[in-house]
Amino acid sequence: MRGRLKEWLSDRLGLESLQHLAEKKDIPVHRHTFWYYWGGMTLFLFGIQVATGILLLLYYRASADEAYESVRFIMTKVSFGWLIRSIHSWSANLMIGAAMVHMFSTFLMKAYRSPREVTWLSGMVLLGLALAFGFSGYLLPWNQLAFFATKVGTDITGAVPVVGNFMLRFLRGGEHISGGTLTRFFGFHVAILPALATAILGIHLYLVQRHGMSVPPSVEDAGGPSRRMKFVPHFVLRDMVGWLAALGLLALLSALFPWELGIKADPYASAPAGIKPEWYFGWMFQTLRMLPSHILGIEGELVGILGIGLGATVWLLAPFLDDPRGRGQRARLMTALGAVAIVYVVGFTLLVYRGAKP
Amino acid sequence: MTQVAALLVLGLGGLAPVAHAAPPGAADTAAAMHAGPAAKNTCLDCHRQLDDPRLSGPTKHFPEDIHATHGLGCVGCHGGNPNDPEMTAMDPDKGFKGAPARKDIAEMCASCHANAEYMKRYNPQPYIFSMAEFRTSVHCKKIAEGDLKVATCTNCHGVHGILPPRDPRSPVYHANVPFTCAKCHNAEYMKGRTVPTNQLALWRESVHGVALLVKGDMSAPACNNCHGNHGAVPPKTRDISVVCGNCHGREGELFAKSKVAETLEFEGKRGCVTCHSNHGIRPPTDAMVGTTGEGVCGRCHAAGSPGERAAAVIIPRFHGFKASLARADSLIGVADRLGMETASGREQLKQANDALVGLRAAIHSFSLPAIETAMAEGEGLAGKAEGEAREALRDWRNRRLGLALSLVVIAALIVLLVARIRQAEHPTA
Repeated sequence: MRGRLKEWLSDRLGLESLQHLAEKKDIPVHRHTFWYYWGGMTLFLFGIQVATGILLLLYYRASADEAYESVRFIMTKVSFGWLIRSIHSWSANLMIGAAMVHMFSTFLMKAYRSPREVTWLSGMVLLGLALAFGFSGYLLPWNQLAFFATKVGTDITGAVPVVGNFMLRFLRGGEHISGGTLTRFFGFHVAILPALATAILGIHLYLVQRHGMSVPPSVEDAGGPSRRMKFVPHFVLRDMVGWLAALGLLALLSALFPWELGIKADPYASAPAGIKPEWYFGWMFQTLRMLPSHILGIEGELVGILGIGLGATVWLLAPFLDDPRGRGQRARLMTALGAVAIVYVVGFTLLVYRGAKP
Repeated sequence: MTQVAALLVLGLGGLAPVAHAAPPGAADTAAAMHAGPAAKNTCLDCHRQLDDPRLSGPTKHFPEDIHATHGLGCVGCHGGNPNDPEMTAMDPDKGFKGAPARKDIAEMCASCHANAEYMKRYNPQPYIFSMAEFRTSVHCKKIAEGDLKVATCTNCHGVHGILPPRDPRSPVYHANVPFTCAKCHNAEYMKGRTVPTNQLALWRESVHGVALLVKGDMSAPACNNCHGNHGAVPPKTRDISVVCGNCHGREGELFAKSKVAETLEFEGKRGCVTCHSNHGIRPPTDAMVGTTGEGVCGRCHAAGSPGERAAAVIIPRFHGFKASLARADSLIGVADRLGMETASGREQLKQANDALVGLRAAIHSFSLPAIETAMAEGEGLAGKAEGEAREALRDWRNRRLGLALSLVVIAALIVLLVARIRQAEHPTA
């Protein structure tokens, strides 16, 4: 019976070719193999986001009058509602953290080299989408902190030359943060961003599958990987160990530090003291905060935004700027750039939480 | 000679050093008072140069006197001719009146200040002084009896340097009133009278005095808020709930309707003062609801009396309710610190605290059913708040248990996976 069902499905779904693909796929084993797991970890946490997000949607109401109350209802009245919300919030942070580790390791291992340029670009778009998920989701509980953090965030967007004012009005749905902004952010968070993320993720995974895992130049120079590991079952089983550990960490964080709800947003209240964005925007926030009001006669904030934009463009175009072989002076320069970027992002993020002021 | 003449006509001395002119006829009050800003005031020109401080003194503060700032000159109160620089300016035949007699001062001030038509020239919403009200005061009655050692207008408001009451330098500025009253209501001045003289000392330490003088709360009462100002009298028994009720509305209303108010009146006791005292009133505490220690119920309700039996019901329930509020607050605080969502419990607790405020007011009804109803409402809300807090704590314990179990399951799965990996890599092992 089981055999017949498998045969029936195989005829219709082409399971054999999938099985063949799984059997064929292998992973190079060397001293940097550990970093290969971070893509899968990000994907696992994204899956958690989708599952918990759908559960939250059952009760969440996207209006300025009801959003806060509905989240409070989820946290106090819905069975395990507090757990679902806390996991959703913690998982979002861990996912962005995992995506950053994945990005920096990819950069330093020069995995973006030909023919993986598009894989790199699609990954960067996915990271951008993850940040957009975080930014839009942060406002949805409609609490005081989220309200003003969103105000500060969209204010910064408004300072972008030429398109800034349009972007600010587009994001806010008007001049000010209002119920209209909440509805708009909800639309981004549950419809537009998931659709884009699913499409880009599909492309990213297809490309990873198509090109396989990149071996860093240093490993190639040392004679290549010592051996190769079958993706199924060896790599997948190891992936699952990591996912289970992440699940345990999520359970621990959610139970010991349930995500706070705060007080309901009041547009007429003054901004709470010490307001700061989510940690993953911290380095940008700190950069803008530490700049003087004017640099060479140009507004400091504008210089900061242009500088960050330029840095992001260089980062995005790394596959085209680096040496295609990943060797030589240009390659060493790019590696140094990656190291500086890591130190800068980590350092400035820590400065936000150490209470550093301009 | 000039000085002696001036002294005679001004008639300075005694308790009322200088006051306003005798009242002109009602019809020409305005004309008589209003010399006009451009008019001459030769009175000041001469009096300023006199050596006798009693004659030159009035000229020092008069420029900032509210009458002067409104263009009113000496002539308004003292008569005479301000345009005449000679002694003939003070010719009684030409309308000079000199200083008014002490007993006439109030009538003289009233000639303008009780004239609504006239006062509206200076303020569209003027305070209109009422001689009828002043006549109800102890001060006026004593003056009418010929006792001139009591206050009239000038003793509180000043004479030639009268400032508006909103000016902090004015003796009738709200926070200055108790000290102004105490100029006369002190042991030395009141010697030979039966009026108590410790009011200022008591009031300064009272909840009202501290609120006004230390905290700067201008809504806190000074002497005049309870006694009246122009009609100042010691409040009588039946008046006190009305007096206190002006600010403590709900308590005053409930007390006025209570049987206890009637009984106290019948017994000659003084309403609110019976439990709270008057000038030295302290912040009321819940400990007053009791028969021992700070409790005030036992002062009147003897053992075995109906009042004592009602107190035996109210007192333990009242303090039990308060204990349950404190318990709920503490439990919600614990749940808060543990990171639990307690907004709903806090809301219940807030309502329970509001019920406590209502209960404190309800106690002034001295009605057992009314007090029991208020207590039942509060107890119900406090119970709900405590219940929510206990539920949150129970939930917190369950979360810990759930976390432990899930971590055990996850750890077990990891162990199994690791075993499976080893088996896959070393099938023979």
